[in-house]
Amino acid sequence: MAVEHTEAVLRLAKATRRYGNRAALDQVDLELEEGEVYALIGRNGAGKSTLAKAAIGALALDEGSVRVLGADPSRDRYVRREIGVAPQEIALYLHLTVAENLGVFAALAGVPRAERIGAVARAMEETVCAERAGERLDHLSSGWRRRANLAAAIVHRPRLLVLDEPTEGLDTETWLILRRLIDRLRADRTAILLISHNAEDVTVLADRLGVMEAGRLMIEGRPAELMARAFGGRTELVVRLSAAAPSVEPILAARGLAPSDQGLCWSGTVADALAQAREIEMALRSVDVELRELAVHPPGLDALIGWATGSIAA
Amino acid sequence: MILVMVRVMALGLWRDRAGLVLVFVLPPLVFIVFASVFSAGASGRLDIRAGVVDQADSVDSRRLVSSLQRGLNGRLIRLPDVAALEDAIESGEMDAGLVLRGDLANSPTPVTVLIHPGRQAAGEVLTAQVNGAAGRDLPDLMLRREVARLDPILALTPDQVRRANGAPFGIASLPPFAAQRILPGGDPLVIYYAGAVSILFLMFTAMQGAMSLIDERRAGLWLRLGLSAGGVAPLLGGRMLWLIALGVIQALVLFLVAAVVYDVPLLTNFAAWSATAVCAAAASAGIALALSAACQTREQAQPISTFTFLILAAIGGSMAPRFLMPGALRKLGWLTPHTWVIEAYQTVLWRGLVNTTVFEAWTVLASFAVAGFLAALWIEGQRRL
Repeated sequence: MAVEHTEAVLRLAKATRRYGNRAALDQVDLELEEGEVYALIGRNGAGKSTLAKAAIGALALDEGSVRVLGADPSRDRYVRREIGVAPQEIALYLHLTVAENLGVFAALAGVPRAERIGAVARAMEETVCAERAGERLDHLSSGWRRRANLAAAIVHRPRLLVLDEPTEGLDTETWLILRRLIDRLRADRTAILLISHNAEDVTVLADRLGVMEAGRLMIEGRPAELMARAFGGRTELVVRLSAAAPSVEPILAARGLAPSDQGLCWSGTVADALAQAREIEMALRSVDVELRELAVHPPGLDALIGWATGSIAA
Repeated sequence: MILVMVRVMALGLWRDRAGLVLVFVLPPLVFIVFASVFSAGASGRLDIRAGVVDQADSVDSRRLVSSLQRGLNGRLIRLPDVAALEDAIESGEMDAGLVLRGDLANSPTPVTVLIHPGRQAAGEVLTAQVNGAAGRDLPDLMLRREVARLDPILALTPDQVRRANGAPFGIASLPPFAAQRILPGGDPLVIYYAGAVSILFLMFTAMQGAMSLIDERRAGLWLRLGLSAGGVAPLLGGRMLWLIALGVIQALVLFLVAAVVYDVPLLTNFAAWSATAVCAAAASAGIALALSAACQTREQAQPISTFTFLILAAIGGSMAPRFLMPGALRKLGWLTPHTWVIEAYQTVLWRGLVNTTVFEAWTVLASFAVAGFLAALWIEGQRRL
């Protein structure tokens, strides 16, 4: 069966998966186009990895559908060859060398024997792990293993690449390698789904991002547009205290700040943050509360997640 | 794809030197231990250690002790008194004991055999050794005892007694029976234990290999492998093929040891042996794959498989010979692969036949293999979706 060519490389429609009464995926619609990098962010347990499994056909849906290049990846073995996945764990054989591992996964993905050596060499070059080609995985450090894990995901030149927590535990050098790789794959029109609970790391790589919470895709769009939608011209204000005190609550809560860190830190997005900061400084002085830090900066992605999931009011 | 998986697993074993030792060295060692114990019993060579107290200290008693020493290959130890001999038997240092008292020709019971209640067989062996030694090396003594026994009845004159005691020794009559061996030669218990130990270790080896399924699942490898073009079937098929190949090689090593050490006629019916080895390895692989697929973790799979395999081995005859088992257990054994494997190897190698029993065994073992593989395939398919 030939793989159907459609504009969307990945399309989830009303994708729903329940475990008992809990919906791990709840009516999720998502489309990913050629050459697009989509970052799926959210807290632990939000349903990101479940969505990733559904996207590659490794999870049966209770409702809805998944299509990769127009075909159901759980049933169509040809379309599965077009998918690459780098799970969060090192999904490689530890007793094999880097090159042997890549050879295995190239063969399993259907790369013809004559092309395998070239495919392995190219994947190692792109992830800068060729110098360790002959070393067993169990003799390598975690950074090298991460590179090999990435290489195994791209060795067969997939058209859809799913990277689960790709920045977790990366050193700076490997992070840069990942960034260059994603740029190159984007140029090759590979669609990439990045999944992370660390929003700041992956969003810089993404064209679009979606925020998940409790199995639902709460919001999606281009990062700059989402920030504008969520916060307008508002700025994030962070107040850190030397000691928690009940007397600060009326002062800070009235300005829309929410406590964390057992009342030692208050934060929120506010309009006219500099004026608000001055007022807060004076008010805290009047109740004899010592201020450790008063910071004003543009809202970050964690604030965006908070806003999207309703735990932080814009 | 199947060959790719075979290569992955083969490299895994090749690079695990401890695993290689366990797979190929341990089974022959265990076989040698079992075969030494049970084949010696079957062939009548029970190597007992005995103690002797020679209170008579006569020419006849010294001759008897010397003859027994030869019969027991030097494992007859002289002890100073009966108390020391009893202590040695009780402590297990000696299997049985012998006390020689009085005149061996005239005393009614000059020889006493001391027997430990837990080692009756050793006492019987020692008794037989004494009778054998007396008949073989001391016929004159036996004749003197007969003359002494008949003298009061027949009222022999001193001259008759002197002439009777001087008669040639070979007057003892032949026993009224002849021993005849039925069935083929060779040691059936050696072949029995080659098969029994082989299937016992095949199961454990197959399980160790099959449990890599669980490791792959835990490491996320299964997610990546699940994207392979052929899906789950070739992945499991490759594993099955490797486990069968490994099982056959393991069985071959064990039977080669049996052939070299115990003259098991491996080559006389090698084709039938090979078919049996393949079926046995396939049955083990199928069962191991099904168990591994059904278990979520190694912590779960390890005790479940150990329990299952030990029970199957005990019932199937891998531990104690089946002919020592009660009838009900012997019947139950036919539900296990072990009994069929043992039966097939014995028929093929000892009887030298390829008969209905062997064909039945191959069919049953192949059924275990197919059922196990299909179960594993179904479980993994369900898990994936």
